[in-house]
Amino acid sequence: MRHRPTTPLLALAFFAGCAGAAFGQTAFDARDLSGIWTITSGHRSISADVPPMTPEGEARLNLNKPTRGRFLGEPLNGQHPGFVRAVSVPADGNDPAHVCNPNGFPRLLLDPEPVEFIQTEGRLLQLFQWERTLRELWMDGRTVPSGDNLDNLGPAWYGHTAGTWEGNTLVMTTVGVDDRAWIDIFGFPKSSAARFEERYTRTGPDTIELRMTMTDPVFYTAPWVSDVKTFTRVAREDATFYGWYGLFSGITEAICAPMNEVDSYNNLFRDPASEGVGK
Amino acid sequence: MRKRHSLKTSLWCLLVLVSAVVATQPLAGHHGRGQSFDMEKRVTLEGVVSRVQWRNPHVLVFIDVKDATGTTVTWAFENSNVHTLARQGYNRNTLKVGQPVTAIVNPAVNGAPLGIIVKVILADGSEIMSRERGNPLD
Repeated sequence: MRHRPTTPLLALAFFAGCAGAAFGQTAFDARDLSGIWTITSGHRSISADVPPMTPEGEARLNLNKPTRGRFLGEPLNGQHPGFVRAVSVPADGNDPAHVCNPNGFPRLLLDPEPVEFIQTEGRLLQLFQWERTLRELWMDGRTVPSGDNLDNLGPAWYGHTAGTWEGNTLVMTTVGVDDRAWIDIFGFPKSSAARFEERYTRTGPDTIELRMTMTDPVFYTAPWVSDVKTFTRVAREDATFYGWYGLFSGITEAICAPMNEVDSYNNLFRDPASEGVGK
Repeated sequence: MRKRHSLKTSLWCLLVLVSAVVATQPLAGHHGRGQSFDMEKRVTLEGVVSRVQWRNPHVLVFIDVKDATGTTVTWAFENSNVHTLARQGYNRNTLKVGQPVTAIVNPAVNGAPLGIIVKVILADGSEIMSRERGNPLD
């Protein structure tokens, strides 16, 4: 006669196994960042603690009109004014991404949408579901470009990135970002002189912590230090659609196509709903 | 120091726990709606599906609704994005052109026949795409 375990017994075995894993030995390679992840904690910007801005930075901030965040005129409640200045209707904003310009770095990385890390010997690739685009983070011994090399390369939407392991933390530097892309959904600006440091530490089988610092003396008077951002592994079933697994599986591709975003969504829905409101 | 262990069971159970946490997180939005819609108000629309735009950034559903004078007005309402709806089991054929439905939406404040979905009620009374049952707006 076959005996079938009851549900409570299965649950007990499950949690006992988990407890064993929690208090047992490390079950991951700290230098392997591979997998599909999503940011599950941390501010949607670098952090809530925005450093003081230069007059040039303030001027650029005021040109950017975000649709996300809190509305103009709302009480600040201690927030930086830059987080409380969203336009009242989306059609009044000028978010570059809303007409399918690239989100750029670091905005796309800060977006809580799935991103796959593919790690090779000399390079880490970050494949972003949103935009269906990638970053190359070189770790083949090179350093980021500078001087004439950087000037000749020119700015790029995702900059130029290189770094190395420091212990079990992957430290990456990015320079040469395009100043037309915003830092975040709130419209904070960055100049092409901005320099970013990212520090990735795998803290568990299913978690990576990221700490970031931006130094941009053109727009900010002090480095902008991030909070701790946690990337959590996306379960296989959450990246499987109609039986097809993968970051870009079928309909999950999220290319911002002007035919979809502008011709369809903005013109048919967003703008008619904004008409005559909040002017 | 690098360590590698093959604790498949513990990894699997942690994956399950993490996925349960992640599954409760609505996807973040990209656009914002500002004051365009009255999110406190609900309008009930009885009509026939005339078009489904199953594409990002947001799925749009169009239904033809007859007003009190018998004039047909085409309403459009915004749903979540494609991958969020797909994860909940919906697809491009869930709603078909010509299908009678009742849609409850938060309407545009400017009176345009536009809305944000609250839920769709099918002819058999079943409710789909319901924000009341966890369908996130994104």
